[in-house]
Amino acid sequence: MNFGRLLRSAPTLWGLAGFLVVLAVWGPWIPTFVLTLLINLLLFASLAYSMNFIAGLTGYVSFGHVVFMGTGAYAWGYVVGTFGWHPLAGIVAGAAVGLVLALGIGSVALRFRGVYFAIATLVTALAARNIILVIPALGDGQGIILNLGFEPLTWFYTIWVILGIQVGLTYWVTHGRIGYGLRAIKSDEDAAKALGVDAARLKLFVFAFSGLFAGAAGALNVWTLSGVFPEPAFDLLFSLQMLAMVIIGGMGTLLGPLLGAVAVYLPHNYFLTVAVGAEFIVIGILVTFFALVVPQGIVGALRRYVPTLRGIIE
Amino acid sequence: MTITIAAVEVHKRFGGVLALRDVSISVAEGQVVGLIGPNGSGKSTLLNVMAGVERPTAGRVVLDGKRVDGLPAHRIVERGVAKTHQIPRPFLGMTTEDNVTVAALYGSWKVRDAGAAREQARKVLNLIGLDGQADALAASLTVQTRKRLEFGRAIATGARILLLDEIFAGLSPDELREAIRLFTHVQEEIGFGALVVEHVMPAVLTISEHVVVIEEGRKIAAGTPSEVVRDPNVIEAYLGTEAARAAT
Repeated sequence: MNFGRLLRSAPTLWGLAGFLVVLAVWGPWIPTFVLTLLINLLLFASLAYSMNFIAGLTGYVSFGHVVFMGTGAYAWGYVVGTFGWHPLAGIVAGAAVGLVLALGIGSVALRFRGVYFAIATLVTALAARNIILVIPALGDGQGIILNLGFEPLTWFYTIWVILGIQVGLTYWVTHGRIGYGLRAIKSDEDAAKALGVDAARLKLFVFAFSGLFAGAAGALNVWTLSGVFPEPAFDLLFSLQMLAMVIIGGMGTLLGPLLGAVAVYLPHNYFLTVAVGAEFIVIGILVTFFALVVPQGIVGALRRYVPTLRGIIE
Repeated sequence: MTITIAAVEVHKRFGGVLALRDVSISVAEGQVVGLIGPNGSGKSTLLNVMAGVERPTAGRVVLDGKRVDGLPAHRIVERGVAKTHQIPRPFLGMTTEDNVTVAALYGSWKVRDAGAAREQARKVLNLIGLDGQADALAASLTVQTRKRLEFGRAIATGARILLLDEIFAGLSPDELREAIRLFTHVQEEIGFGALVVEHVMPAVLTISEHVVVIEEGRKIAAGTPSEVVRDPNVIEAYLGTEAARAAT
């Protein structure tokens, strides 16, 4: 396939790829202060893409998504702290735990719909935190403190790779056969089944990706903090932020999670030094505005009001 | 090899209500069977049991010699039997063509490539006369067009037997004639078998070679359309004297 045709067939994908390539090339020259901000932004984006796999693509809103972040974080802390694994191997462990947990939780919780699914996932997050609090090997509720070096470039390229894989996978599952099946499930699950769509399997498939990447992102997050603590690791506000990013950016879109991450990260970071907690007022107003006025999010709004972008962004 | 789907001595209970009692019915590929009965007599329930949407409380559903009750709905579609919904359920945010493409990708036709499935979808839209609205969002279609789309999606799964729930309901006399003509044309073209649940008597008597009547979950009569409308049980239960006179 020639390059021009490829570019025209998936402009959003290539736009995102270009953005990532620019970041990667610029990486070594980015001032450390900016780099730490970028690491956190990319981490937010990664969490948004993770949530997008399930909430965006199937309409199943997972309120307990932080459970995958938290267990991924603890898996990282455990293998790095106890077995002395390399932190990068710890990221893989975090991803693996997120994947396995998503398969377990998903095979039960995905049988519920709507608010029942949301409650079922929420409960798993609360339960996981309480279980981890009483496990001696995981710090007995005190957390795991590690003294690792400050390696912003390694963190940056790690989250870069995670995000790159997520963008590619998002493109892959939204196109072709799987994409048709997912859109059908999101629109009317019973009607989809009546046409032969194996809804249970498809939902579990994307939920597994969702858990895997939330686990990896959770592990990277605690690597940058050099320690895992139960309260922040299982903070339910993470679940809400993930949802906020996907709602603001555009549910189920390819570009939306990144835009949503920017929209949530900017107030988050600004109020961190001005008035901690006030960011949720701004984010809450944004979510309410988008949910009421433009439920398709930024990407949906652009497609609707800027006709020239309609065939370009997705 | 033609396939046959049969419900054998099926019972279905919803809490205290016995919706189906000992009902047996079978449809072979190429054959059109009408299923009639008053409101609430269990017609849709029987279709749901055969399509795998509901499990029978007792009895069996046999497709091509193998038991399929207990299989999920999508597995039945995979084996060549598709059901339409009484109230059409298109994917509203998708185009007409995309709606049909989903069916082509996931039905018994086993196509995995989206491009090939879209081609198949366009053929089906042509056949049912919806090619002009291929790019329209399903949400913008009228109720009658949605019914036609529902029918088209079922065909596009590659189904060899269709379970059709009131596809002729709510049509004007002209529309009804047109719909019957379309149905007959498509049926002859593809040669599918169909179990047609219907209230519209002229439609069901025209297209069916065999008619089964159920009332309060029980099968009360079966036979050719002209036999059934002369059956005293049927006249008493459902048709009334006027329709019986019209048929004789």
